[in-house]
Amino acid sequence: MAKATIGTETGAALPASGANRFQGAAGLSSIVLPLGLAFVVLAAWQLYVTIWQVPSVILPSPVSIAKYIVARYDILLTHAVPTTLESAAGFLLALLLGVALAILITYSDMAREALYPNLIFFQLIPKIALAPLFIIWLGVGSQSRIAFSVFIAFFPVVIATTAGFLSVDRGILRLCRALTATEWQVFTSVRFPMALPHIFSGMKIAITLAIIGVIIGEFITAQAGLGYLIIFATARADTEVSMAAIVVLCICGLLLYGLVALAEMVANRFYSADSR
Amino acid sequence: MLSLAPKAELTVDETPLVSATDVQKTYFTRQSPIHAVASASVDVARGEFVSLLGPSGCGKSTLLMMIAGLERPTAGTIMLAGEPVAAPRRDIGIIFQDATLLPWKSTLENVLFPIRILRLPVTQYIDRAHSLLKMVGLAGFEHKKPGELSGGMRQRVAICRALIHDPEILLMDEPFSALDAITRDQMNVALSEILETYRKTVIFVTHSIREAAFLSDRVVVMGGRPSTIILDMKMPFSRPRRFEIEETQEFAQVCRTLRLTIEAAHGHGEASARSEHAKANTAAGSVIE
Repeated sequence: MAKATIGTETGAALPASGANRFQGAAGLSSIVLPLGLAFVVLAAWQLYVTIWQVPSVILPSPVSIAKYIVARYDILLTHAVPTTLESAAGFLLALLLGVALAILITYSDMAREALYPNLIFFQLIPKIALAPLFIIWLGVGSQSRIAFSVFIAFFPVVIATTAGFLSVDRGILRLCRALTATEWQVFTSVRFPMALPHIFSGMKIAITLAIIGVIIGEFITAQAGLGYLIIFATARADTEVSMAAIVVLCICGLLLYGLVALAEMVANRFYSADSR
Repeated sequence: MLSLAPKAELTVDETPLVSATDVQKTYFTRQSPIHAVASASVDVARGEFVSLLGPSGCGKSTLLMMIAGLERPTAGTIMLAGEPVAAPRRDIGIIFQDATLLPWKSTLENVLFPIRILRLPVTQYIDRAHSLLKMVGLAGFEHKKPGELSGGMRQRVAICRALIHDPEILLMDEPFSALDAITRDQMNVALSEILETYRKTVIFVTHSIREAAFLSDRVVVMGGRPSTIILDMKMPFSRPRRFEIEETQEFAQVCRTLRLTIEAAHGHGEASARSEHAKANTAAGSVIE
């Protein structure tokens, strides 16, 4: 029945398989080059400190910072835990709040008109200036740091998610309507998957902002946490400790960012436009 | 339920399945109302293939969207299987100019999309999805994603998707106008082959005279300002239809009649400038852009 006239345009579709090898080579240099550069910078730093005998209060050498981290990892870890947990909590709440607001903005014209200008205005406030107020409102415990972290991290989630929800092809929406799809079906099977790449790009910005929020909170008031350790050590001119805390903070940040990236990879298995 | 009956008989039931009576559509804008369809009455019998033909902006797509229940007529009634159309219905399959596939879903999953939306048992339709894809020459492409398919292949997936839940009526809104001419010709033959197997009532919107004449049992020409139905013409060609009919004198004659009707309704501005060229091309079938 189906004859040659139907035409199987097989050649039109498939990407050349030779591309993989090239990607492999590019992947290698994308690891070697940044690592190499970082190593060169660290080596230069070490040399500078050694040759000019810079006092450790001004600038400790990378080797001495590393030694301190290895020797006192227990203290650093004690302080890393609350910072990481509070950042994660702030991020998750910002994510929930951001997606909820985006749904509201997408589905309600009134909410959109009322919220959107205010959100933009909100974004213009230098939000860090408000951090002390959160301490007044919510006390010196975790809750004020988490709240502040949510406060500065939710905005990119709202903007990116809303853009994602509204980016859906009108033709697909019309098809759904023609198929008598419910609003819930449209949301779960079209809008949400369509918005996922946008949501993840919002999340990647939000996770770094969430950490910043917690650190600022710890700068102002805390009894533990890497932000607290940095302020405490700096006040005692213990630059080595302060630097070690910053290194650990970077590792925690990478870890949290890595979790978001991992979640994105998992989502991509199901929602990517490319075949795996 | 899932009839895969080979070659249904070609007789046409006389009671109209779709019946539009004095349908009118006016869009009220801030400036002045726009009369998309001034008045249109058309009946489509069960199993019939009817094309709505006309230049851009003649309201043919609007009429189709009203039949689909996606737009409400300003006046007049549209009956479908004896019931007035007030909203989209489950027994309609629809195909748009763009394939509108979900980019992250495989070909097979895209074909099964209506089954999931209509909450039908998916497992019962997988075989049907496979045989539809085979029919349109996409066997082996079940697990490719839309991004890996060509435009013509994507539109074939859309055809399978429209047929998966075995709707009574197939509504097609300029389905091949985004394709190149060669692919479009292939798709026309493919579509008539598909319909020999899966017999459906089809309403097909197009601005290609040749395409309308080749595919249809009847061609309804819309045009004029404000837009109405200006010609309702039975196509005299037998089925099954293959390319050869386009080379006949009869086919050229039909295309010429359709073209002159459209030109007459739209004055002599753009149309007459092209008519010399069009006459020369009549044998091959001219296309009103």
